[in-house]
Amino acid sequence: MSKLFFDHLLSLDKLDHEIKKIAKTQEEREELWVLVDEIIHHKVFHLILDKLPRDNHEEFLEMFHKAPHDEAYLFGYLKEKIGENIEEILRQELGDVTYEILTNTTNGQ
Amino acid sequence: MTLPSKKLYQKNQQEQISSEFFRQKLKLKNLEVKNSFNEKYPHVKKFFEDKGITLAKLREHSGKVITTGALTSTLLFSPPLLSANIPPITKMIKNLADFTSSPPSVPTQQTLLTSLQQILPQKIGPLDRQQEKTLEQVFQNTIGISTKANLEGEHLNTTYGYIGAEQHLMRYPGDTMATHPKLAEKDEGMAPGRGAWGYFAYSKTEMTKQDVENEKWYAVVQTLYLPDWKSRLNYLRDWYKYRKVLIVNTVNGNAVVADIADSGPAAFTGKHFGGSPEVMNYLGGARYKKGPVVIFFVDDPQNKVPLGPVEYNKMNIPGISLKEA
Repeated sequence: MSKLFFDHLLSLDKLDHEIKKIAKTQEEREELWVLVDEIIHHKVFHLILDKLPRDNHEEFLEMFHKAPHDEAYLFGYLKEKIGENIEEILRQELGDVTYEILTNTTNGQ
Repeated sequence: MTLPSKKLYQKNQQEQISSEFFRQKLKLKNLEVKNSFNEKYPHVKKFFEDKGITLAKLREHSGKVITTGALTSTLLFSPPLLSANIPPITKMIKNLADFTSSPPSVPTQQTLLTSLQQILPQKIGPLDRQQEKTLEQVFQNTIGISTKANLEGEHLNTTYGYIGAEQHLMRYPGDTMATHPKLAEKDEGMAPGRGAWGYFAYSKTEMTKQDVENEKWYAVVQTLYLPDWKSRLNYLRDWYKYRKVLIVNTVNGNAVVADIADSGPAAFTGKHFGGSPEVMNYLGGARYKKGPVVIFFVDDPQNKVPLGPVEYNKMNIPGISLKEA
């Protein structure tokens, strides 16, 4: 079982569709999935840490380390410390990832 | 005039270049994002290094936290969404016995849906052991299929999640939609690649009735995110190949027995399982492309449970269509 607290914000079907068209084997497909996963993880943390006051970084990281799947626990903390709707901000940012990756990686664009 | 074989060669070459170009660009993008992050947040990079994890492998970390039993303790941190509404297991089973001995005017499908409402958490996510054990009993008593969330020590990445529509798989080299059976309405077509275990048969002439059924009623699960997938690859690959699972649509109660024939979907799709066009059509109708389901292994050592719909629910419940989710 694995779940990350921001999983419910992910819905990059178009990107997955492109990968399935391009990758010829299962191994190739999984390799590309992992690369995209890594990009997403970095972007999520980048955005959160940009918004979260520096003094709260370690506390948040400890909380994430203990309960990486717990969206109520982690988003509850972030909403309290950031004071903005961080889930909505993340949702928008992650929605742009498809466009960002495809324009960077597709022939002729 | 260009020969057909030359055209095919040129097409394959173009596809290879396109695939390689995509991979290289994606790697470059990946590197840029990582470097930018590490430069800006060296203390975060150090934090994760000290803990022995990387941002690249967060899912492995999550898998370890959940499977080592930390789920129970971390639930204490947050409002108990997962377990607040679950009656004790003994009460659930008693209720179930009441249902099954109740007059035939109460459809079994209604019994199942009522039980699911009582057992499942409000938000989709991993189930705890008690929830899974209760559901095993519910499925046995209502649908009539013996299932296990944990079979022979193996457990799916999650047992409660969203299923998404997949395409048909190539059954043998050269299989196309010209000859492949398709749905009458809104068919998804054929996937460009093969399933995780390759072709179902070496050729059309060697294809058996079982191969046809295996493709028709296939399911997709996230084997790639199993914490021990890489370390036990040889064993697990064989264990999961065409393993039978029971898929239950938690909205309308439709149930189908499917076999695992591909790996996925990617976590970034927001889905946890996939179903063949036929599986999805039975679970929710032609327009059903995504929805919540519970998936358990079918406990069938004698291999007697056939693939396909489990028609325990012949009666329509008012307000809940058997087909449309």
